[in-house]
Amino acid sequence: MIPSREAASTVERLVSVQNLKFTYEGGIEALRGVSLNIDRGEYIAIVGGNGSGKTTLAKNFNGLLRPTSGTVTVKGRPTAQMGVAELARIIGYAFQNPDHQLFCSTVEEEIRFGPLNLGYSENEIGTKVERAIDAMNLGHVRMSAPLSLRLGERRRVSIASVVAMDPEVFILDEPTTGLDAEESRELMERLNSLNNDGKTIILITHDMKLVAEHAKRVVVMARGRMLLDSDPRGAFSDLDLIRQSNLEPPAVTLLSHRLSDYGIPQDIISPEELVLHVMRFGGGS
Amino acid sequence: MVMFIDLYTEANTFLHRLDPRVKIFAVLLLSVLAFLMTNLYSLLLLLSFIFLLLFLSRAKWSKTYFALKFVLRLMLLIVVLWPFFDRTGTPILLDFGPVQITEPAIWRGVTSALRVGCLASVWYILMFTTSQRDLVLALVRFGLRFDYGLTIAVSLRFFPTFVSTIDSITDAQKARGLVFAQGGLLERSKKYVAVLVPAVVSALRMADSLSLALQSRAYGARFDRTYLRQLKMQAKDYVALVVVVTLLVLPMIAKYVYSVPI
Repeated sequence: MIPSREAASTVERLVSVQNLKFTYEGGIEALRGVSLNIDRGEYIAIVGGNGSGKTTLAKNFNGLLRPTSGTVTVKGRPTAQMGVAELARIIGYAFQNPDHQLFCSTVEEEIRFGPLNLGYSENEIGTKVERAIDAMNLGHVRMSAPLSLRLGERRRVSIASVVAMDPEVFILDEPTTGLDAEESRELMERLNSLNNDGKTIILITHDMKLVAEHAKRVVVMARGRMLLDSDPRGAFSDLDLIRQSNLEPPAVTLLSHRLSDYGIPQDIISPEELVLHVMRFGGGS
Repeated sequence: MVMFIDLYTEANTFLHRLDPRVKIFAVLLLSVLAFLMTNLYSLLLLLSFIFLLLFLSRAKWSKTYFALKFVLRLMLLIVVLWPFFDRTGTPILLDFGPVQITEPAIWRGVTSALRVGCLASVWYILMFTTSQRDLVLALVRFGLRFDYGLTIAVSLRFFPTFVSTIDSITDAQKARGLVFAQGGLLERSKKYVAVLVPAVVSALRMADSLSLALQSRAYGARFDRTYLRQLKMQAKDYVALVVVVTLLVLPMIAKYVYSVPI
């Protein structure tokens, strides 16, 4: 079909990973041959139990780690030939613990740090910082000391400091850990709007509810290998595989599996869907 | 390079089974012996003995290599540099005008290198075979106040955690476009503020939660505290003690009573 071919031609490949293997000093094989491509505008969740290799994989995207063998190319150039600072323009990485990066005396200063390092002009920095403060809803605390804020706000500051660098890809390592439901919901909304603006989001997490609600693609990692690369619906329909990777599917999916004898499909990933099917079932009897 | 923060390797050799107090005492005595010895061959014998014990401790080869690399480099440095600063004695082997290399100076250099080698490597016997917990326990039994012992134990325990926190902070700032190896000395040291501040804050947070955890487990509730692991000297410990004391006393008698050069 012509429309799909048109769509295919507009896809821009941002990250390409070919048979990536990575071994830490000391001999731990964290990645044992991973291949995947990431295109502009995707919303990917990399999931897996602790020690499955998901963070190692993500650190290979922005050059903090370099392949032991295999290649990682970002916008067509191998990361082996690029510096971390150079890659930071394309790939932003928000670490799990915001306290591992906050050091300035005000939120605004903290957010300026990244674009300043990248050598933008004073005007550009001003615009980018405003946009980042706006995107993470930090206007009310812009003059506060980052370390005095609540965890949810500290996390948003750390993400805003990445947003201000205006990368094309955002990697977020466990962004909702330690946040309450409201903080978590607000953060995820902000990430969705970044994605709607055409940014690529890579979410590293083991919160399957988050994945089911937000991600459009799920990469399941276990023991340094990629077990699955599919949409969330496909990923959660295989309970064994999900459990094999030390993960627990969302409750609503588990419930749909239990109800499969009553004609409810097994690949339900949202409460709304389940309600719809149950209503139909109830109406039919 | 692989860095080892804890040199201890779990094993069940006779060195591991010895009471840590005996091991600390033995290491001190062997150090004294190294100071007493002035004879090259005696020192060579002592160093061989220490190395033999090191290999009997069954430490991982990578750890032994890591530990001994520093010792061997230091020894080499002493051998090479000594003759340039010690110009006494004859015959003169090389004469560069103000600097003369004499044969006795070379031998004195080798002797000193052997002595330093003994002093440095003998401690590895203790480090390879004694867990940090046992070391601290031994120090406390030697009379160190328990809270100081605990402070040492906690610092040792949290050192690796702190190192990995600093690694993670460094990575986080690199990901924000910070390039450490750029600019002049002042500019470079300024960049480390971005690592130092989060590191100090993390350390303080770590210390704060640790103190809460200690208090919630009733730390300091009783002054006459008891210990989960009791150190008790056994027959083998006394035997080891006698052997080590003999190792020191015999050469001393030889040296000071019979004037045998050792």
